[in-house]
Amino acid sequence: MKVLKVENLSTHYQLGSETVYAVDNVSFSINAAETFGLAGESGCGKTTVAKSIMRILPDNGLIAGGKILLDGQEIVGLSEKEAKKFRWRKASMVFQYAMSAFNPVLRVGDQIAEVLKEKEGCTKNVAYKKVKKLFEEVGLEPSRIRDYPHEFSGGMRQRAIIAQALACNPKLIIADEPVTALDVIIQGKILDLLKKLKEKHDLAVLLITHDLSVIAEESDRVGIMYAGSLMEVGDAVSVFKESLHPYTAKLIGAFPSVIGKKTRLEFIPGVPPDLISPPKGCKFHERCPFAKPICKVKRPEQREFDKGHFVSCHFAGEFNLLR
Amino acid sequence: MFRAISPENSICLDRGDVLSNKKVLCVRGLKKWFPVRKKFLASILGREQEYVRAVDGIDFDVYAGEILCLVGESGCGKTTTARTILRLIEPTEGSIRYHGEDITALDREKLRKIRTKMQIIFQNPFEVLDPRMTVRSLVGEPLEVNNLTSNDRELEERVLEALREVRLTPPKDFARRFTHELSGGQLQRVAIARSLILRPDFMVADEPVSMLDASIRTEIINLMTELQRLHRLTYLYITHDIAQARYIGNRIIVMYLGKIVEKGPIEDVIREPLHPYTKALISNVPVPDPTAKRKRILLEGETPTPINLPKGCRFHPRCNEASGKCRRKEPKLREVKMNHWVACHKV
Repeated sequence: MKVLKVENLSTHYQLGSETVYAVDNVSFSINAAETFGLAGESGCGKTTVAKSIMRILPDNGLIAGGKILLDGQEIVGLSEKEAKKFRWRKASMVFQYAMSAFNPVLRVGDQIAEVLKEKEGCTKNVAYKKVKKLFEEVGLEPSRIRDYPHEFSGGMRQRAIIAQALACNPKLIIADEPVTALDVIIQGKILDLLKKLKEKHDLAVLLITHDLSVIAEESDRVGIMYAGSLMEVGDAVSVFKESLHPYTAKLIGAFPSVIGKKTRLEFIPGVPPDLISPPKGCKFHERCPFAKPICKVKRPEQREFDKGHFVSCHFAGEFNLLR
Repeated sequence: MFRAISPENSICLDRGDVLSNKKVLCVRGLKKWFPVRKKFLASILGREQEYVRAVDGIDFDVYAGEILCLVGESGCGKTTTARTILRLIEPTEGSIRYHGEDITALDREKLRKIRTKMQIIFQNPFEVLDPRMTVRSLVGEPLEVNNLTSNDRELEERVLEALREVRLTPPKDFARRFTHELSGGQLQRVAIARSLILRPDFMVADEPVSMLDASIRTEIINLMTELQRLHRLTYLYITHDIAQARYIGNRIIVMYLGKIVEKGPIEDVIREPLHPYTKALISNVPVPDPTAKRKRILLEGETPTPINLPKGCRFHPRCNEASGKCRRKEPKLREVKMNHWVACHKV
């Protein structure tokens, strides 16, 4: 069952008289009990996609086109008042900086109970009972609901944020760089927790990170973003093992591993384009080793190359991208 | 005398498979304890001063021409070690010999001279580089403050050469720019050029690429290894990322709570970790391959702050294999295989 369906989403930011084309014609979907990993370098628009879905774009951000269907409901045209209703209850978000996600002068338990009181209309008692349950569920001592954020370690704070995200039984959880600031061992624990919760509650998870290793281990399906567009979408094994887009292959090739043979890592020369005036044609053509004349003038459409494996490249499958 | 290094170990280096036996740096019994500010009650009751034992007695050598990686989680003392070695912070105890000379005893003037040969690259180039200076003055500054140039023309030439070496081309164009006109990767190159211009033989790199995107990260790492080969540099490379350490390094040191738990040739340690902590650490590193079936070893709890350290082995409260001895006696680092050292009673 599709929980989230994003169709041709375009989101722009207004910077004075200029427009930043942050997200450009992005389409993907996420099923229940599925983790969709959205990867790409910083500034590629990953977080803007998340903010568009949550409808929490800053004032200068605007969804310029496309559809976002969340649990069957179109949310692009919703007023702020209506958007408030689905936030937390249908979709919630886990942020990167566990440090700053909680108000430091309020107790952690109070802040989660607040959500329940506001969104579900729970009474105080019921809300605190639920918070205790949530704490247990994410592996925190229920007795610590009266602690302040500074009394929690980084890993515990991340768990508390997940507890908060779960509070109103959402269908979709967006985890934006949920483990980037954590040490590997805690990182592993948080990722295991997310996986466990996903299976238990049939959650759709949108996992956003720049770390392809985390994406590879945690995602069922993967989308690779570059300069505001999705370059490749497919199940994790196909995208990693049978990459169709040169960017995907190059990016994977830049990640070292602790297993397997040691190979020399490659990098992609150049820098991503300026999104105020994105290049004509394929956005990757300036850095693509395989670029041909057509890539400079014609933007490739996203097409289904294999079943469920989408790519935006004129020459997908014609190059040997294997490492 | 030379020690052979397998070709696989030096894939990133390609430089003749040998490491010299010459020690650039020799660290013995190094400690750095930071005093904890006493609470009011504790001070009137005359309670004993407490310390954060950031680095708590470590020994290691750095050989000429190698890349020695220092890894561990945050708070394990890796950055404190790096800074203490350069005496950016004063050690509490222990000796640091650089080419045989103990630098813990040096006065300011001598230290300044020796520091031109020992350089450091920090994690965040945005904080290191003054935004009001041009790249030309940033890169030339070390030469000027150390009075190492005779005239402006020589200074200019050496700055341009340093920029060319870190591939900021055309160098004349980059020399004119300010930091806000450069990307993160380019800034880190400026920081590298600034260290290199002094022709050091020993470089400490403290998480030099952690702030950067994967592709730029690889570009900088590859550049650093090329420069290392070109100038016969020796690196102490500090990172929390073990995959990155494996890629760049020859040898590895794993730290936990201020102590070395394991050290050895990097492939040996990663393929066959001996210490339970190293095993857990490596099993938790994600790999960019969705078909790899790996099992994460779970550790209880999180790394504590090194104030009230547990008795015996400091890892025992989280260790799956701990026994009575581990609770009583602190294990010593010992060589269990060729060049592979571990501090664990159970190995």
